[in-house]
Amino acid sequence: MSFADYLGQRWPVIGVLAVQHAEMVLIAVAVAAAIGVGVGIVVEGHPRASRVALNITGTMLTIPSFALFGLLIPVLGLGAPPAIAALVLYAIFPVLRNTVTGLASVPGAVEDAARGMGLSRWARLRLVRLPLAWPVVLTGVRVATIMTVAIAAIAAGVSGPGLGQLIFGGLARIGGANALNDALAGTLGVAVLALALDLLFVALSRLTTSRGLG
Amino acid sequence: MTLTAQREESTRLSALGVLTTPALVVVAGAALLAYLRGQPLDAIERRSINVQVVLARLTEHLELVGLSTLLVIAIAVPLGVLLTRPRLRRLIPAVLAVANIGQAVPTIGVLVLLAVVVGIGTREALVALVLCSALPVLRNTMVGLQGIDRALIDAGRGIGLSRATVLLRVELPLAVPVMLAGLRVALILNVGSATLATFTNAGGLGDLINTGIVLNRTPILLTGSVLTALLALTIDWLVSLAEHVLRPRGL
Repeated sequence: MSFADYLGQRWPVIGVLAVQHAEMVLIAVAVAAAIGVGVGIVVEGHPRASRVALNITGTMLTIPSFALFGLLIPVLGLGAPPAIAALVLYAIFPVLRNTVTGLASVPGAVEDAARGMGLSRWARLRLVRLPLAWPVVLTGVRVATIMTVAIAAIAAGVSGPGLGQLIFGGLARIGGANALNDALAGTLGVAVLALALDLLFVALSRLTTSRGLG
Repeated sequence: MTLTAQREESTRLSALGVLTTPALVVVAGAALLAYLRGQPLDAIERRSINVQVVLARLTEHLELVGLSTLLVIAIAVPLGVLLTRPRLRRLIPAVLAVANIGQAVPTIGVLVLLAVVVGIGTREALVALVLCSALPVLRNTMVGLQGIDRALIDAGRGIGLSRATVLLRVELPLAVPVMLAGLRVALILNVGSATLATFTNAGGLGDLINTGIVLNRTPILLTGSVLTALLALTIDWLVSLAEHVLRPRGL
């Protein structure tokens, strides 16, 4: 079967796996974004705390994904939970780093003006500093998403969901019909999903950036 | 091909920072040993968790990482140098665009595609590793060389050095810090990708992780996972030291 015929016949299955893949990634990134932005707000302005937080989350990126999945299996079992947890751990660093950088790059004069208007610390953060840092924060979330889309392909190695199942399915059927088509569809599917999510973030960034910043 | 963008800036060394990683590795290694001592291992577990098997997997892993990294340096550095020469320089945006799309392709996919098309084994796994980790070295070589002040190159030419000498004595030494950062990313990527080589019969520590999953044996799974993580941390630490030592004086 040619790849085009294969796609024509299997697109419902591939579509379901792609949606699973996107779900897994977006859940993980949403959790990581909440943690990353939260921790970023707490440590920003304290260089030592920032460095420690960035070092710890940055070190997570050094740990090979298959090993991290493996470390989480005894705790969380097989399937989606260890995969999502591992993706969260990887995705925190880009968000945290960009939150710290974004908040630190808000000009002091703007902050002073907000203080002069009588805004409380919390109001300054919510009304002035976060909106100004938002494009940078969102870039961090975007980097985290693209990165985790590729890592999530390995989730199928721990019985997890997603497009990785096609890749591992092709591996299991080497020599058989459609082994190549499966592997190709899984691999290209991941790349296409990454590019689609990338575009989604470009659009999101346009829509949510404060007018006057863009 | 995942963390290329993350760790391009090399970190400054501090006494505490230098000692944190080895301390962590020793503590985690000791914890693993203590855990295995306290665990009554059955016959299947003893077959995977013994010194010969673990050392054999570790050796395979190190061979995969070492060879793929050497190949990446041998391929990506000359290619990066070529692409920054005046005649080929206009190709750089196209190369970077292709490379960035390539970043979205998962390593396991490349590994499996090669296994399906070419065959399984160590050689094919090496090719996949090289394909997936060449990008950061290539990009950082180009970025490092392009970031050099033109005036320095002109000065080199002005005092009568040939183009080749300027490249070897001026441009490459100045680009070393950026190139080393790319190499560090490539090494870490290779340590991670090599754990996936088990899926195409190329061995490595991923073998233990996969055996642990397939046979549902937590001690084997943990031994493989912890050793892989510690190996990655150790290699990253060694490269960070090397970055510090190899950085040309005066930069």
